[in-house]
Amino acid sequence: MGRISIARKNLFQDRRRATLSIAGVSAALVLILVLDGIFAGAMQQVTAYIRSSPADVFVAQRDVTTMHMTTSALAPSLVDEVRAIDGVDWADGLHYTTSSVDVGNNSLLTYVLGYDTATGRGGPRNLASGQPPTDGQALVDSVAAGELGVDIGDKVNILGYPFVISGLSTDGTYIANTTVFITSDDFAALRGPTYAYILVGAQVGMSPEDLQQRLAIAMPDTTVMTRTEFAKQEANVVRTMAADVMAIMSVIGFLIALALVGLTLFTATVAKQREYGIIKAIGAGRGRLTIIVLAQATWTIILALALAIILTSLIGVAIDALTPNLIVVIELGSIARTTISAFVVGAISSVLPLRRISRIDPSTSFRMA
Amino acid sequence: MSKFAISVHRLTKTYGEGDLAVHAVRNVNLTVEPGEVVLIMGPSGSGKTTLLLMLGAMLRPTSGSILINGIDLATTPERQLPSLRAHHLGFIFQDFNLLSALTAIENVELACNLAGITGAKAADRAIELLQHMGLGERLHFRPDQLSGGEKQRVAIARALANRPTLVLADEPTANLDSSHGREIARLLRQLAHEQHCSIVMVSHDERLREISDRTLWLEDGAFRDLETMATDPICAMSVQPGDATPHYQHSGTDYWFCSTACREEFTADSKKYLRRATE
Repeated sequence: MGRISIARKNLFQDRRRATLSIAGVSAALVLILVLDGIFAGAMQQVTAYIRSSPADVFVAQRDVTTMHMTTSALAPSLVDEVRAIDGVDWADGLHYTTSSVDVGNNSLLTYVLGYDTATGRGGPRNLASGQPPTDGQALVDSVAAGELGVDIGDKVNILGYPFVISGLSTDGTYIANTTVFITSDDFAALRGPTYAYILVGAQVGMSPEDLQQRLAIAMPDTTVMTRTEFAKQEANVVRTMAADVMAIMSVIGFLIALALVGLTLFTATVAKQREYGIIKAIGAGRGRLTIIVLAQATWTIILALALAIILTSLIGVAIDALTPNLIVVIELGSIARTTISAFVVGAISSVLPLRRISRIDPSTSFRMA
Repeated sequence: MSKFAISVHRLTKTYGEGDLAVHAVRNVNLTVEPGEVVLIMGPSGSGKTTLLLMLGAMLRPTSGSILINGIDLATTPERQLPSLRAHHLGFIFQDFNLLSALTAIENVELACNLAGITGAKAADRAIELLQHMGLGERLHFRPDQLSGGEKQRVAIARALANRPTLVLADEPTANLDSSHGREIARLLRQLAHEQHCSIVMVSHDERLREISDRTLWLEDGAFRDLETMATDPICAMSVQPGDATPHYQHSGTDYWFCSTACREEFTADSKKYLRRATE
């Protein structure tokens, strides 16, 4: 049963004002979505190495559950002990530390990974060009190489020693740091034979969870995690570090959206105050007027949200193109959260206009000239 | 069920209390028959608007009753009044009061919707009324695209959308030029008969007396008998002769004035006004 949509008609009567209002609310929602997208992108980047690893299970020093902001030390002999455990198909030690990669005065923070180039299991996710390193050589991420102005065959300083770039890897440069790969032997020569992690592959038919339990029992002085769990822990530590900033920025975005939606609805109500009196006079009850205001809020929110999603996608593409170490990932969860926030904003913003309307005396529609 | 469209008994509205009390309407009695057109006239501040607001269920009387279709508006709970207005009453305003964002047909449909008529039925009703008003070519025009007379015809269509028992009109011709004013007056007369709805109008427009079945004079919150009213020779306003009314006697004839200012103007050059009165 169709009814005349006063809300939509009122909202779009002045198209310029409606457009500005929707664009304003959309801008606030874009702020929230882009921040969420950058954060989700960072999460994806930070965990990319772990998620793309061939290892089913990771072994670390006891109580070490992440790569970021931690140091792990495992005796080299432990690799053979792991290999001997039933259900293990293969096990490789991985050297790891945080340092910098330097070219002249240019310097980037980096994860330094020393891996067994014979198996390649601890190596980069993708090799864009060149070859895996041999002794005295390093793989540098292509984005970092661009920032440092170096290419294959050039020299960079890692852990205080010069290395020749043998190839360029991808997906290893994040907001705060990059990743370089050297041979396990070079790493051991510079920092000692201690491994940070042991990458373990499960035999066919053995689930990662079962293997993890078996290793945890066999090696009680270590932390054993499945790849999924390890990636999750890694994401958690970064999320925790960024949570306050994200929360503050989200609250700012929320407040801006609240102010804009509130202002839009309030001005729309004040501008039509006289007409609300008329609608009341000819028989509209409180319920009908409430529906009009809420429908205006809903229209504003839905259109602003749709515009915000489109704008965020475009901004994401632009960010990806302009800053390769930053990616924007719009997740469904983020859209769902922002949608809920937007509707909460709409509901809160409707309170003042509703109060205003409830106080309008229908008798004012007489003799208003 | 009462045979009257509206029956008002001892209706009183008093603002304030004690020494500061203002009696806007005092013990007014009024009955209007179905299809009857009643014009209420009176000076500014006489209580016309207060009375109209009470008849329109927008102002609670201090005492008395207002019966429409067996419902006493004076005692109906506040939350039920909007629905009552939507179903039993129609309103025509001085300023037309159309919703600016809606087209002519949508303005009328809205009134249908409020009365519970929706969808195609509402659209059909709106088209029927607007065509009847001669606005068949203006259905999708917004108010800012209509002339004053056309706006008031849309407003009349809106007032009739819910097939009301009673239409209340507040100065329906005040913002119209004389030809449009006459046109609207005739239309109201015609509609009252055709639609069999009663119309109570409040106006200063003497032209509306021609189309009214009855004209009532409201002054100081009470109806006066028009038969006993005198006409101010200066401003032509109807005044009730009485001790408190400015008065002047000349050659054995009593002259009554709406104010001392009119009396002074008259006495300053009475010959001129007496000559005019005899012409």
